[in-house]
Amino acid sequence: MSGLLWILPALALGCLFVHHWLSLLRPRWLSILLLFGAGTPAGIGITSCLFYLSVVAAPRIQNLSMWIEMALLGGLAYAAFRKRQPPAAHLPALRFPLNALLIGSLLIAAVAVTTIISGAWEANPHGNWDAWTLWNLRARFLAAGGELAQRAWSPMLASHPEYPLLVSAFVGRCWAYGQDASTAVPIATSYLYLLSLLALMIGGIGLLRSQSLGLLAGLALLGTPTLLHEVPAQYADVPITCYFAGAIVLMLLDYPLLAGLCASMAAWTKDEGLLFLVLLCAAATAFRRRDVPRLIMGALPVTFIFLGFKALLHAGTPSILGNSVLGLVPKLEDPSRYGQVIGAFGSEFVGMASGWYHPLLPVLVLAIVLRFDRERHRDLLFCATVAGSLMLAYFATYIITPYDLTWHLQSSLDRIFVQLWPCLLLAVFAGLRRPEALARVAIQPTAEATPDKIRKKKKTPGRR
Amino acid sequence: MVLAAVMSLWGVFEYSRFESVYQQQFRDPYKVSAQFSRLAGVRDAVPENAIIGYVTDLPRGTITDNATFDGAQYVLAPRMLQRTTSSDWVLGDFAKPDDFASIGRKYGLRMERDFGEGVVLFRKEGR
Repeated sequence: MSGLLWILPALALGCLFVHHWLSLLRPRWLSILLLFGAGTPAGIGITSCLFYLSVVAAPRIQNLSMWIEMALLGGLAYAAFRKRQPPAAHLPALRFPLNALLIGSLLIAAVAVTTIISGAWEANPHGNWDAWTLWNLRARFLAAGGELAQRAWSPMLASHPEYPLLVSAFVGRCWAYGQDASTAVPIATSYLYLLSLLALMIGGIGLLRSQSLGLLAGLALLGTPTLLHEVPAQYADVPITCYFAGAIVLMLLDYPLLAGLCASMAAWTKDEGLLFLVLLCAAATAFRRRDVPRLIMGALPVTFIFLGFKALLHAGTPSILGNSVLGLVPKLEDPSRYGQVIGAFGSEFVGMASGWYHPLLPVLVLAIVLRFDRERHRDLLFCATVAGSLMLAYFATYIITPYDLTWHLQSSLDRIFVQLWPCLLLAVFAGLRRPEALARVAIQPTAEATPDKIRKKKKTPGRR
Repeated sequence: MVLAAVMSLWGVFEYSRFESVYQQQFRDPYKVSAQFSRLAGVRDAVPENAIIGYVTDLPRGTITDNATFDGAQYVLAPRMLQRTTSSDWVLGDFAKPDDFASIGRKYGLRMERDFGEGVVLFRKEGR
C-alpha cells in the first residue's frame, strides 16, 4: 500500500504548479475544485514525465526522478508561500435557491458512484483486458527500473509497445517508489482522473458561467453510465478525456499555457491526444488567436517528450495512419465503409442508454428550459469545433483503418464516445443561459461582477 | 433544473443496476488474480532479467490461449515472455494433465520443476 502514498506528492506538485499560474476567484470553493481538477492530472503528468525521462536518460541512478520531484515540490511550495494573491475577484453573489439541492444531489450521486465502482474494484482488481495486457503490464516493467524498465517499449512486447506512457509511467513510478506493485495504485489513479474530470466540470463551468450551471454539469457527467463503467477498467480513456476537458476548460478561462500543457499530456496518454492537440490549436487559431502562442508554449515540453519517444524509441514503428497508406484510395472510395461507420456511430450513441435512460436526457431538458445564451456563442462554437472536429477525425480514422473495420469499431467505439462525451457536455454547458437569469434572482452587481469582467481584469501585463 | 438533476440521479441508478449485473457476470473472467498464486513458484525460480520461452497445449490464437499467455506475462513481468522454446528458461502452461517431461524433450528441454496446476518450468538441455 505504500505505493498509494506516493500518489500524494504528485497531487501536491500538480496543484502547486497550477496554483502558481492560476488566479483564484470567488467563490473560493469553485476555484479549489478547479485547482484540484487541473492540478491532479497535471501532477500525474509531470511526475510521469520525470520518471520516464530518468528511466531513459539515467537508468542506473535509482529513483533519480524522486529527488527531482522533491526539489520541485519544495520550490513550488516556497513559491506558493511567497505568492501574493491579488484580492480574489468576486463572481456575482448568486443566490439561486436550488443550489443547496443541487449540491445535495451531487454529493449523493458521487457517493453512490464511488460505492458502485468500489464493487468493480473488488471484482476485477487488475482491471479489464487492456489494463493487464498493456497499461499496467508496462507499468510493471517500468517499476523494475534499470535496464529492465526499457522492456516497457520493447518490440518483443505483443501489445502495442509504441503507445504513449503517461499512465503506465505514473503507476510504475508509484510502484517503484513504494517497492510494492499493489493494485491499489492503478485503481486510485483511474478514480482520481474521474474526480478530476468532475471537479473540472463543476469548477470550470461554475467559474465561467454560474455555480448552478457548474453543479448541473457535474450531475450530467455523473449521469453517464458508459463513462463511469470505464473507470474501473483502468484503461487510458478516462485519463485522456480528463486532459481534453482540462484543456478546453482552461482555454475558456483564459489560461492557454495550462491548456497547452493539458493537451500535450493528452498526447502523452494516448495517440488520439496528438490529434486533439492539433485540433485545439486549429480551433484556437480560429476563435482565440491571441492565445495561440501561449497554448503552443505550454504544449511544447511534453510534446517533445512524446515526439522523442516516437521518433527515437519507436523509429520505424508505423502508426495507425502509417499503416493505412496501403489501400487508402479503395477504402476512401468505398461507400459501404461510410455506411458502416455512420451506423456504428448511431448505434453507439443510442447504446449509451441504460434502460429507458439516456445521458442526453438531462442535457436536453436543460437546453429546452434554459436555452442558449447568444452572448456565449463564441465559447460554445469553440468547444463544439474542438469536439466536432475530433469526432470527424475519429470517423475518418475508422474509414481508413488498416484493421478489420467491424473488429475495430466493436473494440474501440464505446471508448471513443467516452472520450468525446465530456467535451460535448462542456460545449453545451458553456453556451447555456444561467439558471439564475431564468429564476430572475437578484444578482448584486459589484465592481467585479461578471465573469467577463473578471477575464478582462486578469489580463494584466506580466500576469502570465 | 430539478428535473435535470433527478434525471442525472436516475442515470446513476441505471449505472448501478448495469454495473452490478456486469460484475456478477464478469468477475475476473480471465482469472488474472489466480495466475499470481499459480505462477508464484516460477517468479521465485527465474531471475527478473530472464527472457522466458513459452509452451502450451491450448489451441494457438484462441481467446483462452491469449488470455493465459498475456496473464502469465503480466504476472511474470519484468521477466519477458516469448512464444518460443529456444530460451534458456521455458514456461510450460498446460490446461490438461500430460507427460510434461516428454513434451519438453520434444523441444530439447529438460523439466526443471513441476509446480502443479499445469505449470511446469523447463530448461534448455545442457544448461
